[in-house]
This record gives sequence, C-alpha cells and structure tokens, in this order.
Amino acid sequence: MVSWAQKGGGGLGQDALAYADTLYNFARYLSGNSTDAEDLVQETYARALRSAEQFEPGTNLKAWLFRILRNAWLSLVRRRRSDPTVGGLDTVTPEVEPEPTWFCDDVELDRLRKVVAADIERALMALSEDARTVILLDLEGLTEGDVAAILGCAVGTVKSRLSRARLALRRLLRDYTP
Amino acid sequence: MTGTMDCATARLALLEEQRGRLDGETSSALAAHLHECDACARDDAAERLLTEQLERQLPQRAAPLALKRRLAAQWPTPVAVAARRWPSRRWLAAAAVLALVVLGTWGWWSMRGRPETLAAEAVNDHLRVLARVERLDVPSGNMHVVRPWLTGRLDFAPVVPFVGDADFPLRGGAIEHFLDRRAAIAVYERRLHVITLLVARPDGLPWPAPGRPLTTRVRGFNVRLWQANDLGYALVSDLDATELGQLAARLGG
Repeated sequence: MVSWAQKGGGGLGQDALAYADTLYNFARYLSGNSTDAEDLVQETYARALRSAEQFEPGTNLKAWLFRILRNAWLSLVRRRRSDPTVGGLDTVTPEVEPEPTWFCDDVELDRLRKVVAADIERALMALSEDARTVILLDLEGLTEGDVAAILGCAVGTVKSRLSRARLALRRLLRDYTP
Repeated sequence: MTGTMDCATARLALLEEQRGRLDGETSSALAAHLHECDACARDDAAERLLTEQLERQLPQRAAPLALKRRLAAQWPTPVAVAARRWPSRRWLAAAAVLALVVLGTWGWWSMRGRPETLAAEAVNDHLRVLARVERLDVPSGNMHVVRPWLTGRLDFAPVVPFVGDADFPLRGGAIEHFLDRRAAIAVYERRLHVITLLVARPDGLPWPAPGRPLTTRVRGFNVRLWQANDLGYALVSDLDATELGQLAARLGG
C-alpha cells in the first residue's frame, strides 16, 4: 500500500486538511483562546507531515491527528510551566469531583432542558482539562479505543474518566440558576 | 441491584447503549434494569439529555480561513512535487501532460470497473460536501422540500426512503458530480458527524448487486454501497460503522 510519505503528502494530506475545523475546535476548547488554538493546529499539521511515515494507512486518520494535537498541547503546557516569565495556562482548574452518589432528580432534568450554549460552554471550561478532553473526544464520535490511544491510557480508564467527567458537567449545569 | 445487572454496571453501560455499542445480551440486561430501577432510568434520561444539549448547544468554532490557507500551503501537492522533478522546458512539459492524459484516461477506464473506485469517489464527494456543509444547495430538514428540488435537476428521480428522524436528522440536499454523471446528495447528521448519502444512476458502474451491500473503509471514512430501486447508493461518514449501518438500514441498504 502506498504510504502518505510516498505520496509526497499530497493524497492523505488533503484528507488531513478536511479535519482542520474539528481540530481547531478541539484546540480552542483545550487552550481557551484562539491564538493558542491556531498555533496548536499549525503545529499539529507540521508534526503530522514530519511523521507521515508513521501513519498506518487504513487506521483512523482523525484519531491520529487528535493524538498529535493533544501531544502538542501537552508540550506547550510543559514549556509554559517551565517558563518563569509566563503566568501559566488556565489548565490547572481543579477537577470538579462529582458526589459519590447520584443526584438526578426533576430539578436536574428541568435545568438540563433549559441550558443555553453559554451555560454549556462555561461549565465545560470549568472542568479539569482531562475531563474536558475526554468529553470533547467522545463528542467527536471517536471510539473508546481511539480515545485511549489519544490519551495513552487503558480503555477502562477512558470509560470511568468519561463517566466521571459527564457527571461533573451535569453537576455544574444543575447548579446554574436558570 | 435489580435483575442481573447492578446499578454501577448499568451507569457505565448507559453511554455505550446511547452509542449503539452494546451487544444484544447486555443491551437487554440494561433495558431490564432500567425498567425496574427508577434511579438509573432517571440517570439514563439525564445522560441522553446531556448528550443532546452538548450536540445542539455547544458552540463549534471553525478554523479561520487564514489558518486553512496556511495549512494548505504547508502541504506539498503532487503537482508541486512533479514540478520540482522535471526541467522547465516547454516540450518536456507538454509531453508530460500528454502522457498524464493518456495514462490518466487509461487508468480511469481500468479502475472504474472496481467497486473500490466508487467508494473512493464517494469519499471525494463527501469531502466536497463537508467543505460546503453550511452552504448546501437545499438547506432543509424536510425531505418533501429536498427531493423535488433534486428531481428537477437530474435525469432520474432519486428515491430516498428515509426522511430523517431525531437520531439522524436531515440537514439538506445538493447536487454533486459522481465520476461521469450527476448525483443527488442528501446530508444527514448524527451528533456532530455529517453523513453523505449519494444517489446516482448505476448503469455502467460496478455497484454491488441488489441485496448484497458492500461496506468498506477508505482513507478513514466508512463507506457503504448498495443498489436498490434501480439506483446506486453510497453512504459515507467518519461515523463508526455500527451507527452508519443503523442509518443504512433506515435507507434500505
């Protein structure tokens, strides 16, 4: 099978470019700002081009690009944390731990029905970066196997992390006054 | 705990059930548990509502055009590679173009006899749809609006047996070129995924025989091809194969 690199980046490159919007959206929610999001997407494609030979044709290109973007994000966070001139990214928001017991009642269902876009975005951004990431990747329709590969953890970890993250999000949305 | 499934297991299975990823036995056990356990049934309702609100309300931000242009410029295209390798003499360029035309025509004629060619072209159409999904020819969720518009612009009447529902809402329709002919496009959605249904005349093209649909994967996209109603159908998306199969079943493929 002809690899991406053998094609000179042209064939699969065009496929990769089809994911620019979805990668940018993910980067925007990871970083919380458009400047970093643009840099992250640009860096993602640059890394993808450099690592084209590592991509296995027939595997999930989208998941591969998301993994690269996530790694680029972690690199950026590490660089900024080690830079004393930078105040740090807003990525250390404490995890909103859900209550050990479930609290779903009519109030929660009613609030959930009434939330608006700004509520959901605000609640999502209030989650820890890990929780936000797993929710967004799931929302992208990636399988748990794909998400596990992106995050570098076991599938079981993805399941429990996603479950906790969604519960934390529901809790935040429940607490918003409609 | 109620039935054969405990609450903790049920809660973890709710999302997988939403995604259509549970096997039949586990799905039945979960349904039985939800029937008996009011707390888990409420949690199921909340989880479904949360998914619905995330899909509908969470703002989606597209990459700025300037970024897309930079990215496109970043990729070496096959044309650019060729230009670097060949000297710039005019006669050599003309000969190369002629050779490309001859080889391309020969390749096209030999490749068009394979279903893989149809799947690859369907993916190309899907990518074109993705590029203009906000500007479809008929941006309507009403099939009774979309189908007459398409029919008036084609040399056949596209039969689309599924008008869309809450799981797979219709987003609109369009006309695209499919190899040597025009095709009707119906665009459905599933969460954030765009799904392209392509309907074209099947004559002269290697569509799978009626009743024998073909499922394949091309460049990361799942593709299902089938033939029915004297027409050829192609369904393409990055949606996982199981969910794409659910839509195909609604469409009779």
